[in-house]
Amino acid sequence: MFGARRSVALIAAVAAVVLAVAACGSGGSGGGSGSGPTLVIDSTFDLKTVDPGREYELTGQMLTHGMYETLLTFTGDDLATPAPGLASSYELSPDAKTLTLTLAPGRVFSDGSPVTADDVVFSLQRVIGMKGNPSFLLDGVTVAKKDETTVVLTSAGPNAALPFILPNPALSVVNSKVVTANGGTTDDQDGAEKFLNTTSAGSGPYTLESLDVASQAVLRRNPAYNGPAKPAYENIVIRNVQAATQVLNVQKGDSQVALDLSGDQVEGLDEGELTVTSGASAYTIFLFLNQGADVSATTSNPQYVSAVRKAIDYAGLLQVAGAGSVQPAGMIPTMIAGSLPAEDAPQQDLAGATAALAASGVGGPPPKLAYPSDFTLLGLSFQTLAERLQAQLAAAGITVELAPAPVATELDNYRGGKEQIGLWYWGPDFPDPSNYLAFAPDGLIGKRANWPASAAPDIDAAAKAAAAAVDPAERARLYQEFQRSLNAGGPFIPLVQPATNVVTAKSVTGAAYNPIWTLDLGAVGAAGGA
Amino acid sequence: MRIRIPQAWRTPLGVTGAAVALVWVLIAVLGPALWPYDPLVQDFPRLEAPGVAHWFGTDELGRDVFTRVLAGARVTMPLAILLVGLSVVIGGVLGLAAGFFGRWVGETVMRLTDLVMAFPTVILAMVVAASLGASLLNAVLAALVVSWPAYARVTRGLVVGIREADYVLADRLLGFSPLRSLGTDIVPMVIGPVLILASLDIGTATLLLAGLSFLGLGAKPPTAEWGSMVATAIQNFDSWWLGVFPGLAILTVVMAFNFLGDALRDALDPRTAGELGKAETR
Amino acid sequence: MRPVVRRGSPLARYLLRRLGVSALLIIGVTLVTFLLTNLVPGDPVAANLGQRAAENPATVAAYRAHYGLDRPLPVQYATYLGNLVRGDLGESQQTHRPVLTDLQSAVPATLEIAIGAIVLSVLIGVGFGVVAAVRRGQLADSALRVVSLVGISVPTFWLALVAFYVFSFQLDLAPGSGRLAPATTAPPHVTGLYTLDSLLAGEWETFGDALAHLMLPTLVLTLYTVGLLTRFTRSAVLEVLEQDYVRSARAKGLPGRTVLFRYVLRAAMVPILTVVGLAFGALLSGTVLVEEIFAWPGLGSYAYQAASHLDLPAVMGVGLLVGIIYLVINLVVDLLYGAIDPRVRVR
Repeated sequence: MFGARRSVALIAAVAAVVLAVAACGSGGSGGGSGSGPTLVIDSTFDLKTVDPGREYELTGQMLTHGMYETLLTFTGDDLATPAPGLASSYELSPDAKTLTLTLAPGRVFSDGSPVTADDVVFSLQRVIGMKGNPSFLLDGVTVAKKDETTVVLTSAGPNAALPFILPNPALSVVNSKVVTANGGTTDDQDGAEKFLNTTSAGSGPYTLESLDVASQAVLRRNPAYNGPAKPAYENIVIRNVQAATQVLNVQKGDSQVALDLSGDQVEGLDEGELTVTSGASAYTIFLFLNQGADVSATTSNPQYVSAVRKAIDYAGLLQVAGAGSVQPAGMIPTMIAGSLPAEDAPQQDLAGATAALAASGVGGPPPKLAYPSDFTLLGLSFQTLAERLQAQLAAAGITVELAPAPVATELDNYRGGKEQIGLWYWGPDFPDPSNYLAFAPDGLIGKRANWPASAAPDIDAAAKAAAAAVDPAERARLYQEFQRSLNAGGPFIPLVQPATNVVTAKSVTGAAYNPIWTLDLGAVGAAGGA
Repeated sequence: MRIRIPQAWRTPLGVTGAAVALVWVLIAVLGPALWPYDPLVQDFPRLEAPGVAHWFGTDELGRDVFTRVLAGARVTMPLAILLVGLSVVIGGVLGLAAGFFGRWVGETVMRLTDLVMAFPTVILAMVVAASLGASLLNAVLAALVVSWPAYARVTRGLVVGIREADYVLADRLLGFSPLRSLGTDIVPMVIGPVLILASLDIGTATLLLAGLSFLGLGAKPPTAEWGSMVATAIQNFDSWWLGVFPGLAILTVVMAFNFLGDALRDALDPRTAGELGKAETR
Repeated sequence: MRPVVRRGSPLARYLLRRLGVSALLIIGVTLVTFLLTNLVPGDPVAANLGQRAAENPATVAAYRAHYGLDRPLPVQYATYLGNLVRGDLGESQQTHRPVLTDLQSAVPATLEIAIGAIVLSVLIGVGFGVVAAVRRGQLADSALRVVSLVGISVPTFWLALVAFYVFSFQLDLAPGSGRLAPATTAPPHVTGLYTLDSLLAGEWETFGDALAHLMLPTLVLTLYTVGLLTRFTRSAVLEVLEQDYVRSARAKGLPGRTVLFRYVLRAAMVPILTVVGLAFGALLSGTVLVEEIFAWPGLGSYAYQAASHLDLPAVMGVGLLVGIIYLVINLVVDLLYGAIDPRVRVR
């Protein structure tokens, strides 16, 4: 018993010391950043891997873009013109089937070895062959080396979008010797992912120092980098932090960049201390009404669709979505070629809604509005949006029942075409209007709404015409036509293009939002050259 | 039964608990009569700080938080009571069987409780919610799966203690069938303490359900439920009133029931109290 | 779960039996987890593949083959058990790492706050409980009773939120979320407990930083456990105080302090230990709400992430681990029973 008592005393003493030191520790760490120029970025992680050939998640895109380079890229937030990356120039054949790329001279990987055409061919073939998440980007594309500085991409059909696809960080060029030495292959036997999650093998401005996909990634400046960007920090730490905590951290100076704040959250921030850069994102949040009569006799009624479209108070939704968000006029968001001008956007028309509802003659139980309840997009909770929608529809006499489910289970219903009304979003895989053919009848999302080409032959024809066009101006016009017909007779209702709010400390420059890789880490600078 | 409730209620804690619980029960029963606004109507400016028009401010959709806190009383409390009731029935019956019919029945039930207790609650709740859909009733179901073992254990403990008591043995010698012995000698002795445990548990059940709702596994929107109201506060950190008031509502309800239960327990004899105390660690 | 005292049965035999039962229970836990996760209507392919990839039959087939999802369920389960015997818990679909590796980094994170919370709770809670029992009916007893009742009534998730808002944000007394300040690098890995590892490496600054980050989550978790232990200690001590041998010891004129420490606490320690053990187990598996708010990369967050992404191998791993923790704690508590209380001794 004596022993036990003594040990209790000991524990007490240790605890006292512990508390005392903790108190000191907190005082010390309040001082702010440590030694050396380190940039701390808070973000809500969507991250599984940083193997360029396998990643296709938001955070993965940002990290990969910081460590690797692609053949073509986008500068700043300009998504309209593919800019030179590892390729100094490109040429698309008139039939849009052959893309010829010339490599920039003198570029090197982080180990100092030169970037060659062989590396390019290996990297792209690896993405195709591994059958991973991003493989679809190069569906029907074959890659061949023409000579030491030229690579040719051949598509099975016309592929005018390819120059807009190539900037995707998933199509980064990796150091083929290093990757092969660590188990990399160009088929589904590839085993280099583990290695690439500990060490990067790219030519980008930063290299991978450490990675924990659940909590944080640390990047270090690539000393061998000889590209156009000017990496300003010795280290970049990207931490997985919930949005609410991000607000606090960035205000306290614990972090210098917060990426996932909602419009409400940035409203109270001190503009003297922090810079808030807001703009519309490239996401389209939309509502769809299932056209399958077996799924719902109500939602498949065209008059009912029209009633819902007219009942929604779009301005009221923007209020909930927060400052900086806009109403997209069609499915294609404002910054992508082929988007509709604002005056084409659906309008609220309560009288029209009432009339359409009466004309539809629907009865029976109210349809279910399904949405991913645990999902927030750029700080905008689908839960909040769904509740607002329900209230708006109710005001027009349309009753819907909310059917929330965790995203993991609801995705299955969505992809299986089982939802009566669904509230989802679309982010472009690449900034080209052809990505939005998913909303055509029998398209990827069209199928989820059980909407066959036979149900809307004219919209189907408009989509096919747009898909076949090659000339940029002609394409833009045809995609606008497609969307007008979609707005008039399709089962989709575009609702909100939510805002992105990048909050940075005054010491940080160049932190512009990019829809594909969120932030160009290589372009983020330090004011006063820290 | 040696419980004299009136005396127990005379302790200051008991009185306080009873008063607060009564207020909340009244709020729940009177319902709409007390609400200044409709808890679902989104007519007001969003995220307004507490003031004269909105005592507890407004939420992210422009609903009156005060009304929603009051309305929340009608949601969580009845379900907590339902949860406790179901746990008592299921756990009680299994515990009775385990304690009375001895070896293998007892062993099976006890190992079953081990299995449940060894299982992570959150995963269980998430799986239930994912397969049945998020709703308060499903949350009750998920919570039920983890909360019955405590009752089974307590009931079994009490039954084992009583089973060998002289008067039970005497009745058995007089020719009582096992079932009659169970009905006349054992159940009446067990039922009192178990009901006390149940009343103690209402607070805990409220906490559990609120926690599940907080994780998005309970109340279906737009229902005003305290746990999910606190959860929305995380998204709107600066608007402290969104989370503070529903949290205080949970706290006061749970505290009231715990005060009340504590006073009740004091009126019990220490042996039973000890047995109940063990159950509380779950 | 009291040990069965059987004449002539050695400790080894008892342990063996316990281990046998535990192994069965563990298999039961894996089976239940496996069945439950497969009953969920969601499809892990939908949850983990991008929407374009999920449309491509070749990609889906490759994905299913990689995780063995293309085989019949009984085969999948048998394979899992087979791999388990070899210490292979499979690969997480979320992190693309072995589940074992994930758990090895998540468990120390949770252990660090759980150990802190349980040590503080035992020190404070048992102390409070003894005081309340000895001063039964007096002012101190009533005051402590209110404190403990409030402690067990506070919703932890709410307290965590409020504490974070007040102490970290408004008052700046505590650091932000996570285990370390971003500029601080983790100490060399020995135990995975940052405080211990930094001490071992002699990195005092890291140690202070790790401790500072531990403070708030630990204290938030402590409040509930303190309430629980205070209540429980009080009633356990009261029960012992009424025993005959304690009364006679008092009657013999032994000083109150001696009686309290030599007889009362020793006897009361047995039930208290049980509760401490169970509370510790609950802390290890029940920190999810607090971890979510403090962005603490522990077991709770991992379990939550895994379950919400239908990451079957990870869910199985967590279920297994929590089951083992529960059983081990029970075993240790039962063995300590024997060591402390001479009346219950396994021979």
